[in-house]
Amino acid sequence: MADFQTSTQRAKWILTPQKLAERYKVANQKAVQMLEKCGTTQVEVDASGSLTYPTEKVDAGDQADKKLKPLSVDEERFMRAFYEAKVQEVCSAFNFPHKIQATALQYFKRFYLQWSVMQHHPKEIMLTCVYASCKIEENHVSAEEIGKGIKQDHHIILKYEMAVLQSLEFDLIVYAPYRAMGGFVSDMEEFVQARGDEIQKLENLLKAATAEADKVMLTDAPLLFPPGQLALAALRIANGALGVVDFDRYLENIVSQPNYEHTASELTKFLDDIESLVKNYKYPSEKDMKHINRKLKSCLGHSSSHDDSKKREKRSKHKSHRSSNDTPNGGAPVG
Amino acid sequence: MPEMEQPKKVADRYLKRELLGQGTYGVVFKATDTKTEETVAIKKIRLGKQKEGVNITALREIKMLKELKHPHIILLIDAFPHKENLHLVFEFMETDLEAVIRDSNIFLSPGDIKSYLLMTLKGLAYCHEKWVLHRDMKPNNLLIGPDGQLKLADFGLARIFGSPGRKFTHQVFARWYRAPELLFGAKQYGAAVDVWAAGCIFAELLLRRPFLQGNSDIDQLSKIFAAFGTPKADQWPDVKKLPDYVEYQFIPAPSLRSLFPAVSEDALDLLSKMFTYDPKARISVKKALEHRFFTSAPAPTDPAKLPKPLRKQEGKASHDRHDAIRVVSPPRKLRRLMPERGKLDCVKSHVDKDQQAPMSLDFTILAERPPNRPTITSADRSHLKRKLDLEFQ
Ligand SMILES: Nc1ncnc2c1ncn2[C@@H]1O[C@H](COP(=O)(O)OP(=O)(O)O)[C@@H](O)[C@H]1O
Ligand SMILES: [Mg+2]
Repeated sequence: MADFQTSTQRAKWILTPQKLAERYKVANQKAVQMLEKCGTTQVEVDASGSLTYPTEKVDAGDQADKKLKPLSVDEERFMRAFYEAKVQEVCSAFNFPHKIQATALQYFKRFYLQWSVMQHHPKEIMLTCVYASCKIEENHVSAEEIGKGIKQDHHIILKYEMAVLQSLEFDLIVYAPYRAMGGFVSDMEEFVQARGDEIQKLENLLKAATAEADKVMLTDAPLLFPPGQLALAALRIANGALGVVDFDRYLENIVSQPNYEHTASELTKFLDDIESLVKNYKYPSEKDMKHINRKLKSCLGHSSSHDDSKKREKRSKHKSHRSSNDTPNGGAPVG
Repeated sequence: MPEMEQPKKVADRYLKRELLGQGTYGVVFKATDTKTEETVAIKKIRLGKQKEGVNITALREIKMLKELKHPHIILLIDAFPHKENLHLVFEFMETDLEAVIRDSNIFLSPGDIKSYLLMTLKGLAYCHEKWVLHRDMKPNNLLIGPDGQLKLADFGLARIFGSPGRKFTHQVFARWYRAPELLFGAKQYGAAVDVWAAGCIFAELLLRRPFLQGNSDIDQLSKIFAAFGTPKADQWPDVKKLPDYVEYQFIPAPSLRSLFPAVSEDALDLLSKMFTYDPKARISVKKALEHRFFTSAPAPTDPAKLPKPLRKQEGKASHDRHDAIRVVSPPRKLRRLMPERGKLDCVKSHVDKDQQAPMSLDFTILAERPPNRPTITSADRSHLKRKLDLEFQ
C-alpha cells in the first residue's frame, strides 16, 4: 500500500501532542478508578475477544487494599518504554526485518492509547503485537515458534490476539519510516548527482539513518508525525554525524516540489520536534523498573504479601468472571 | 439451528436475516443494521481453538478493505468479534457478475458488456494504484449492488506488491483465470496477473461462458495455447526462466477473430492486449481504461439500467460447495509435454462452428447445470499457507 494520504494511519492514528497526553491520562485514570472500586485492575481476555472486567468489591474501605498504589502516568510510560525495547530485542533475535518490528511497535503504542498497562500486562501485549505484525506483514511465523524461540507460553499470544486486533480497531496497515528513507536516499542520489564514492557515502547514510529510525520508533513520534517526517528526521540526525549532504538545501528542494503541504520552516520545526523527542527519550533504570514492576504486579493481583489476601483475591476474581459476563462494562473502552 | 429461525440481533445492532452465500471460510448472511436501517451483508468467520489464531484470510480482507475506499470496491462497514465468531459487515450487494453471465434470460448488449468491464477495471485500477494485487478476480467475486454498480469483493487473497524481489505463491486465482506466468510457477509477479484474469472476465462476458476452462493446471495451459498459440521466444523472452516451465509442442495461434467472431475491432484489440503473453508487455489496467474501446460507440450502459437477474439463483450456496474441485499442481518439470490433441480440436471446432456452443462436451450435456467452476479449494489454501510460511525473506 503506497498511499499514506488516504490511510487509516493518517486519518485516525496521528494525534496532536495535547490529545496524546490526554489519551494517556484518561487510560491511566480509568485504571486508577478501577483499582479504587474493585481492588484490582486486571481485565481478563479470551481468544474470541470478549473482555471481563473486575467487579466492584463489596467490602469498601478494606485496609489491605489501601496499600495498592496505582502507577502514575510517568510510571506507565516507563513500563511501556521497557517493553517497547523488548519488541526490538525479540524482533532482532528472530532476525525479522525492520518493517515487522516497526509494525509491532505501532500496534503496541496504539493498544496503549486505549488501555493502561495496569489492565493488560505489557509483556503479553508485546508478544501478541510481534505475532500479529508478522502475520499482517505476510511474514508468517507460528505463535508456537515465537513462544518456543523466547521460552514463552504461546497460548497467551493466541488468547490476546483478538483483543489486540480489536483495540487496533482492525486498522492493520501501518506505515514505517524505513521505506520512505530508502526513497529519500535515492532521491538524494539524484539531487547531488552522486557518483562512485558519493553513492557509497549515501549508502552509509541510509544505514546510519536506519539505526536512528529504530530510536525514533521508541519515542512518541510515530503517534505524532507521519512516516515521511520520521524518515527525514532520522536522516537528518544521521547526516549530522556523517555530513554527507547539505540537508537544509535538500529540505528546500523537498518543499519546493509542487503540492508539498509544508513550508521549509514548518518542516524544519517538525524535524526539530522529532529530534528533541529522541534526545529526551528516557529508558527506566533497573531501580525504577523494580519499583514499578512491584506496583504493577499488585495492581494486576499477581502478588500479595500474605495468603489471606491471596485467597480473597482469587475469590473475587472468580466472582467477577461470572457477573461481568452478563454486563460487560467497567468504565473501560470496549474497542 | 433455532438461531436462524427468529430474527436475532447480533452485537445489539444487526438484525440477522437469510443466508446469502457460503464462502470458503465462513457463511454470509443478510442483515439489517438497526442503527442506520440499511441492509448489510455479514460474513461470519469462526474463531476458536485454531492453532494459528485469527484466520489469515479474514485478516487480509480486513486490512486491505480498511484502506481501500472506492465506488467499485466493496465497502467494509465494520469488523468485530462476537460469540466465537469474527463478523465482517459489508454493504449489501444484490447479485454478482457470474449470476448475470449465467442467466440465459438476460441479453447483454455491447454497451452492457462495456459497462461491466469498465467498472471492473476502474476498481482494479484503484487497487493497483494502491499497490494491491487482488489475486482472485473472477465473475463470482464481482458483486453487483442494487444500483447496478459493480464492486470488487473477496480480498482474502489480496496482497501488497511493489517491494522489488518479493516472492509470492503462484497458487492464486481460480484456475480458469490464472495467468500463464502463474501456471509456469512464477513467484515474482505483478499487476499483470489481475489483468489476465480481467481479460478472462471480458471474454466470458462476450461468450457467456468461461473462456478457458482447463481441468488441471497443465490442461489450463493447453487451453491457453489452443486459443493464442504457444508463445514464441520473441513474444515472451523470459518464459524459459520460469520455475515450472515446460516446453509445449508448437501450436499456431488461431486468429483471435475466429474465437470472437461477433465483437467489434476495438473489443478485439483490447482483448489481445489483455491476453499478451509477456507480463511485462501486457497492457496495464490504467492503459486499458484509456483504450479507445471505452470511448468508441456504443457508450457503456448506465449502471442503473443494466440487466440483472430477477433473483439471485437459489441454492447458490450449495453449488459453490459443489464447485470446489481439486486443483492438482503439475509435477515439476515435465519434459516435452504434449497438449491433448482431442481437447484442442474440440475447442477449435466448437468455436469455428458456432459461438453459442459451449466449449466442451460436458457443458452441452449439462446445459442447465452451471459449469463446475474451480475455486480455490481448501487443499489449495493450505498449500498456499505452507507457501507463505516459506516466503520469509
Ligand atoms: N456484500 C455482499 N452482499 C451480498 N452477498 C455477498 C456479499 N459478500 C459475499 N456475498 C456472498 O457470499 C459469497 C462468499 O463471499 P466471498 O467474499 O466471495 O467469500 P469467499 O472468499 O469465501 O469466496 C459470495 O459469493 C456471495 O454470494
Ligand atoms: Mg468468493
